[in-house]
Amino acid sequence: MTGHIDRREFLSGAALLALALGVPAAAVRLSQIADDDLPSPRQRLLAREVSQIVLPRTGTPGAGEVGVGDFLILAFAHGLEDSRAPLAHSTDEPLRADGSLDHLAWLERTLDRASGGDFLGAAPHKRAQVLAALDAAAFPPGPPPADPSPWAKVKGLILTGYYTSQTGASQELRYELVPGRFDNDIPLTPEYRAWSSDWTAVEFG
Amino acid sequence: MQHQFDAIVVGSGITGGWAAKELTEAGLKVLMIERGRKIEHQVDYDTETKAPWELPFRGLGDAALYAREYAVQRKNRHFNEFTEGHFVNDHDNPYAKDADTDFTWFRSYQLGGRSLTWGRQCYRWSDYDFGANKRDGHGTDWPIRYADLAPWYDKVEDFVGVSGAKEGLAQLPDGHFQPPMALNAVEQAVREKIAAQWPERCLTVGRTANLTEAKEAEGRSHCQYRSICARGCSYGAYFSTQSSTLPAATKTGLLTVVTDAQVEKVDYDPQTRRVTGVRWIETKTGARKAATARLVFLNAGAFNSVHLLLNSASEAMPNGLANGSGVLGTHIMDHANTLSVIAEFPEFAGHTSFGNRPTGIVIPRFRNLETLDGNGFTRGYSYQGGALQSGWSRGKRMAGTGTAFKEGLQQVGPWRMVLVTFAESLPRASNRLTLGKATDPRGVPQLEIQFAHGAEEHAALADAKAQAAEMMSAAGGKVLMGMDRPGPGGSAIHEMGGARMGWDPATSVLDRNSRAHQIANLYVTDGAQMSSSACQNPSLTYMALTARACAHAVEQIKAGVI
Repeated sequence: MTGHIDRREFLSGAALLALALGVPAAAVRLSQIADDDLPSPRQRLLAREVSQIVLPRTGTPGAGEVGVGDFLILAFAHGLEDSRAPLAHSTDEPLRADGSLDHLAWLERTLDRASGGDFLGAAPHKRAQVLAALDAAAFPPGPPPADPSPWAKVKGLILTGYYTSQTGASQELRYELVPGRFDNDIPLTPEYRAWSSDWTAVEFG
Repeated sequence: MQHQFDAIVVGSGITGGWAAKELTEAGLKVLMIERGRKIEHQVDYDTETKAPWELPFRGLGDAALYAREYAVQRKNRHFNEFTEGHFVNDHDNPYAKDADTDFTWFRSYQLGGRSLTWGRQCYRWSDYDFGANKRDGHGTDWPIRYADLAPWYDKVEDFVGVSGAKEGLAQLPDGHFQPPMALNAVEQAVREKIAAQWPERCLTVGRTANLTEAKEAEGRSHCQYRSICARGCSYGAYFSTQSSTLPAATKTGLLTVVTDAQVEKVDYDPQTRRVTGVRWIETKTGARKAATARLVFLNAGAFNSVHLLLNSASEAMPNGLANGSGVLGTHIMDHANTLSVIAEFPEFAGHTSFGNRPTGIVIPRFRNLETLDGNGFTRGYSYQGGALQSGWSRGKRMAGTGTAFKEGLQQVGPWRMVLVTFAESLPRASNRLTLGKATDPRGVPQLEIQFAHGAEEHAALADAKAQAAEMMSAAGGKVLMGMDRPGPGGSAIHEMGGARMGWDPATSVLDRNSRAHQIANLYVTDGAQMSSSACQNPSLTYMALTARACAHAVEQIKAGVI
């Protein structure tokens, strides 16, 4: 395992990223992360890269570009998606001090193994293939697995990070805080983009 | 005795606000005491207009903080980073449970109480409900019937502003409604298909305390279709203490409001057999304060009003204030609540809607009306829910990565219909509140809850699941799943009872005017007074009972009885 990134370096990097992307500081507020929960520089890069593969640049920027990698770090440090529940069974997977799975370390190890040693060093198409295989195994056809892959939580938080970012919510999708009216039945055409501000739809999936 | 106030109202939520309004408008000088912080309408709705990307945890909130301090509240579907300031801190406000009890007590300790976070559904009860205890022998007979309450429902609906459709149903009486919000394409089709096969079953839009017409005189705009009500609404478009009753009471010049004040005891004078006032703890300083009044209204929320009565035991009333019957704390209820069906409606793929309607639909009770046709249950259940299209978060359950996956999530998802059942909770002596041994951080004994749903509620939910699936299939839906096990007690956030109304002082706490049998100047007009639970959302009935009780109290004062 590589050592933890220097805290000051990490935080200033986050601030620079925010500046470069023009996203508000709240999007990458990493000062709320305990030292023990800071990832290695490689894990941080991995989080960004994996986010970008899941939701790449299309007509709008991809998830890695808008800081979702750092959102993942914050989210796992604070246990979003119930990600810091202690594991019920024994495991040889990497754990945090509280007995919960260290999702980023798990992701790093899993992807490195699947790509023959160095996921980040693999060619782009190979990285996409490896991740697609991990995803396909985690979401098989039929009912959801009884013991879900940790990837389900990583992916879920990538989606949350992206579609609640200003880019994801208001450029990739549409955001309207004050609709002002209710149109109960309008045609749905292929060009119609979904609303990130349809709170009930987001809540129920 | 010279009193400082004509009346003290304990609590500032839905019924406290009504009591303050009605009593001040009748010319009484009123003190309203709220245990939580002050929240000023429009000024203090801090997150109302925030976007997810402006919050550190994108609206999901700090799960680590929630695990430490909001261990119960975080289970509420309306609790999130936008609304966390409108829910109680569980760590600072603990309650106890009996070893066999699972009870999630959702609370809002703040000015306005749960009127800021409520679901806003407004349904009248009928004589099927007020007659239920007498009919099957559970609980004690209600000392009132629909006719007693109907004019008060009228009055309350007019002021609240309830939008809804008149359907002419005996089990869910029509009221004074503003124009209804519209059903969406799927709901409209399902309504028609259900009616064709089951003429006695009616799917209608939720009757909700969201304005479809502005009430300009009161500074309230019509609904903006944001459906973020629990953040607080600066438009005043839904009914809350802040938007409605507090301004009305304040306008009289007769209202004093004290916040951050946890009422500890109601004082009782055994000589006059009257309550004389209340005592409270300033939560910020720990200082103890008191005030006197000719009249006391308890509106602290069902369980907290009961708690206050239990904690106000004295030498003269050793089992709790107004507890000569011994039933204080017993027969608490909460609707048995579960997700009965989710069904897909693929044939509506060419339809969508715009705007966030802040209400769903309701299918009123159809069981155990003229004939007792429930299999294993004698009361009712009704469904609430609606048809909706999924959003980007469906991607969390889907395989896929990359461009095609992202482009797919740009589309509106498929239509699904959801029906959630609220089944009537029977009043049982074994479901009860007591004072626990442990204390809260201010030294006040914690409330202890003992509660379990019974066989009747389970039978009702089993039938509800089966009927929901039948209706969805008949309407062209593909049933995906459904459940028939209730959530923990408290899940419906309709906890009620504990100081029930009844004819007989030997078996009930309150009389037919929501007044303590034993104490002529003490009224309890929140959910604590309920003798049965019906299956409707109860707030409208609490409001009507409060307005009615206030009129009674004012009459008593004028007659010189109080």
